[in-house]
Amino acid sequence: MAVSDASGATTGVARKSSRYNWSEVIVAALFVLPFIVVYGVIFVWPTIQMVWLSLHNAPLIGPGKWVGFDNYVKLFKDRLFSVAFWNTAYFVLLTVVPSTILGLLIALGINRLKGWAQSAILACFFIPHILPVSVVFRIWGWMFDSQFGILQYPIEAITGDHLPVFRTLPLFMPTVAWITIWWGVGFNILLFIAGLRNISPEIYEASELDGATRWQQFSRITWPLIWPVTVLVLTIQLILQFKIFDQVYLFGNGGRVDATMTLVQMIFRNAFQKNMGGYGATVAVVLFAIIVIFSVLQYQLLRARGGEK
Amino acid sequence: MTAIATDDALVTLSPRRRRVIKTLDIVGLIATLVTLLGAIIWAFPLYWGLITTLKVENDIVQPGIDLWPRRFSLEAYTHVLFNTKIGTWYINSLATALGTTFLVVFIGALSGYAISQLNFPGRRILWWLILASFMIPIPALIVNHYVLMANFKLINTWMGVILPQLIAPVTVIIYKQFFDSVPKEFREAAKIDGANELQLFFRLYLPMNWGITTALAIIAFIGAWNNFLWPFLAVTKEQAMNVTVGITQVTDAFGVKYARDLGAAMLAGLPVAIMYLIFQRRVTQAIMLTAGIKG
Amino acid sequence: MIRNFVRAALLSTALVGTAVGGALAQETVVWWDFLGGGDGVRMKTLLEKFAAENPDIKIEATTLEWGTPFYTKLQTSAAIGEGPDISTYHLSRIPLGASTGTLSPITAEELAAAGINATDFEDANFKAGQSDGAQYGVPFDIHSVVLYYNKDKLAAAGLLGPDGLPTGLDGVDNFKAALQKLKDGGSEYGVSIHSAAGDSQWRIMYSLFGQQDGQFLTDEGFLPGDNLDKAVKATAVVADWVASGLAPSQTEYPASIALFTGGNAAMHINGVWEVPTFTDLAAKGELGFEWGAIQLPTFFDHPATWADSHAFVIPNRVGNELTPEKRAAVLRVIHWMNENSTFWATAGHIPSYKPARDNDEFRNMQPNAVYSKLAETAVFDPVSTLAGVASPLYDAMGNYLVPAVNGELDAQSATEQMRDDLNGQR
Repeated sequence: MAVSDASGATTGVARKSSRYNWSEVIVAALFVLPFIVVYGVIFVWPTIQMVWLSLHNAPLIGPGKWVGFDNYVKLFKDRLFSVAFWNTAYFVLLTVVPSTILGLLIALGINRLKGWAQSAILACFFIPHILPVSVVFRIWGWMFDSQFGILQYPIEAITGDHLPVFRTLPLFMPTVAWITIWWGVGFNILLFIAGLRNISPEIYEASELDGATRWQQFSRITWPLIWPVTVLVLTIQLILQFKIFDQVYLFGNGGRVDATMTLVQMIFRNAFQKNMGGYGATVAVVLFAIIVIFSVLQYQLLRARGGEK
Repeated sequence: MTAIATDDALVTLSPRRRRVIKTLDIVGLIATLVTLLGAIIWAFPLYWGLITTLKVENDIVQPGIDLWPRRFSLEAYTHVLFNTKIGTWYINSLATALGTTFLVVFIGALSGYAISQLNFPGRRILWWLILASFMIPIPALIVNHYVLMANFKLINTWMGVILPQLIAPVTVIIYKQFFDSVPKEFREAAKIDGANELQLFFRLYLPMNWGITTALAIIAFIGAWNNFLWPFLAVTKEQAMNVTVGITQVTDAFGVKYARDLGAAMLAGLPVAIMYLIFQRRVTQAIMLTAGIKG
Repeated sequence: MIRNFVRAALLSTALVGTAVGGALAQETVVWWDFLGGGDGVRMKTLLEKFAAENPDIKIEATTLEWGTPFYTKLQTSAAIGEGPDISTYHLSRIPLGASTGTLSPITAEELAAAGINATDFEDANFKAGQSDGAQYGVPFDIHSVVLYYNKDKLAAAGLLGPDGLPTGLDGVDNFKAALQKLKDGGSEYGVSIHSAAGDSQWRIMYSLFGQQDGQFLTDEGFLPGDNLDKAVKATAVVADWVASGLAPSQTEYPASIALFTGGNAAMHINGVWEVPTFTDLAAKGELGFEWGAIQLPTFFDHPATWADSHAFVIPNRVGNELTPEKRAAVLRVIHWMNENSTFWATAGHIPSYKPARDNDEFRNMQPNAVYSKLAETAVFDPVSTLAGVASPLYDAMGNYLVPAVNGELDAQSATEQMRDDLNGQR
């Protein structure tokens, strides 16, 4: 591997040069090659194929007939698609903002603590986040078990009877959303704690001397300074929750699957369960577009709002 | 740490101010208590799940809440260990998680280095592409990933589970940022000593950033170990399943089996839980880093 | 010949730890089933017996989650040549499986070579393994749902006849009155059902529907004419038990069994495949009461019970087809299983293979002997690519019948929606 080692002046990206050192370019090519290959094979190619497949009436594996935009026409008339879309949107609504607010509140609480107490409390909130979804599924399936779950005691005290929450339609999404928040809020807490630590204590001390109330401190110092982190958390959560599949699939399996369907699940159902690859790809294309549009919009919107403050 | 008022500050304040802070501290105490209560609420399901696995199946379905087992039993664990292929699933999880981790970190470091330190055509476009890939919805690609892996004859193989998990633009972004901050003088000096780019990368830039490498590796490992959707689709055979998939897909017995199911779940979560407890500080640091916040 | 031998030898050495037989080349058969619980235990015994008697065939068995997860995995693996060599299957799903290319047809020559004769089975049962004239499945058993009961509780409620069998349960009103009596007698529920499970509710509803001679699918479509009313009537019966608190609402499979075994419910409607669960619990002395099982009571015009069959199929393996030798080995496994299926009857089922029924061991088997006459009036799932286990029809049961049974939708509109949904998929 030949390198331009003679002159130290050619290193660093800061230099302005319209010319390239070709031996450096070759080295660079070799360095980025694995990434480009992976990116091309695992992302670009499947994305093109996805769009292509969506224009065919094809099984999951094997060739299909060209049908143009028929699949899209069918999709927008499909009752299940609107169910899946609204379920997904509902789930996003139930998780994204609540888990962000909760994350900030808990982070504020934890940030007051010190030493081992802080670590211990943080661990309580964070450990769920590192567990696999199947573990979360088993634990909460057991907590809410309609006959023997421990949560049936308070539920029975309130409603007078056992309540199979995962089989009671109005309760399904809120319950799965709550479990998702339980599972994932630790991540948000960490980001907020990191953000809070970046706020210099002197600002608070100065405001103390000015007689600022706690609420004033929060609304005038903490909130504006933590806003960029809030935007970040909201964006990460939005992208994450739009892709909801695991929890809804596991908890909903065997129940009213149509009524609890989400978009990724609709891809899975059509392509894998019903062997309609083309139609599944059509749902995938639409989901892809929705996520990209939403994340760009949200990021721009929130950043702009933050800038005004 | 940003406690509202430190003890030192308290001493220097006027009596009037002090009184204000005292009343405020009651609010603070309540906040702490609420946080503590929250922590208990958060930890309880984990405790309850764990303690259930140590009970006798028939005791589990008896009415009443036993916070401590009436009779201790490890039957749930012995049953899972001896009657399922959980050992094989563990090996599969370990192999695919380690493989994914290694490749993600290695590929990310290489390209992060190139983008940070080398000048080549297309660098800007590549960087822009990587930044934009942040929002790629991987689950939307499951259909074509499956077709692709089927064409490669990689369904039911470790490689088939690993490959689609390799898109990790965040790794590149973080490496680039860290390599950017390595002082130029090191590079110049090494070059004068005759080091080539490969040596610079392996002997200088990687060792100087071991911290970030371990952090990224931990995050990648936990992510790969916990991944459900793709391993669930890419594997159709019991002996090729990951532990997270196996425990939900393979049934061994009906009847009363709450402790067994939970026991299998506890075993599946154990490695990541232990990893977190050992590397607690690294994990938290890693998450802060991957989100682009330097904590 | 020599090449084949070398290949076989290489194969058997490659499979570490399998070549117990020594010089004989071993054929490895990858086996998938969905048999859990007592079924699974019985099948394990059969597989062990097979291994002992057939050292030249090694079966690698996997049990996957019953229903949609199982059939999804089988279907996707078949399409890419990654499926098993043999799989259990439901005869009700054969048309659907054949239409998605999941199943590989078995020729008459292959059947004959393995000694599988159509005449050893009931004609209809064997033909249910066919689709468009090709044989895809070989029947293994006929299974149905039965009414399990707690003898002690029924005796206390005066519902046991002089022959020791339940009495006075026929007719919608009589049955409900009996449930009420049992509830009044201290049971939490009169009967436990898995009211949250579409498949199970289908079995009950379809039995009651069959008792009115309903036709679920005709050339005109799903539930034409007064068949809709019959389905509504069948649905309303079960919905009424739930609404009156005589049966548990929204209850999952394991919980509904636990309600019965725990003594909270005096009766339990479930498949015959749970017979071993109760047999085994009673044998271990953990049940705490005497139990029995009878054919479902006659609620309407005449007896009828839903039934389906477990069968064996050879899944397709696109691009990775089975060798003729392996297919022959698979068929030998299938035939052996049928020949030994008297033991399978201890899992509650009725063997499909007639010789396995024509012996005193089967005729005296309990509780099978009590309910096996249900086979004479059995009603099977509609023959359609939309029907069968994990089919659109089963999905529809989860989406419409379950909410109807649990009072979330009224029976009439739920059944109409179900009909329209299914007709929309034709």
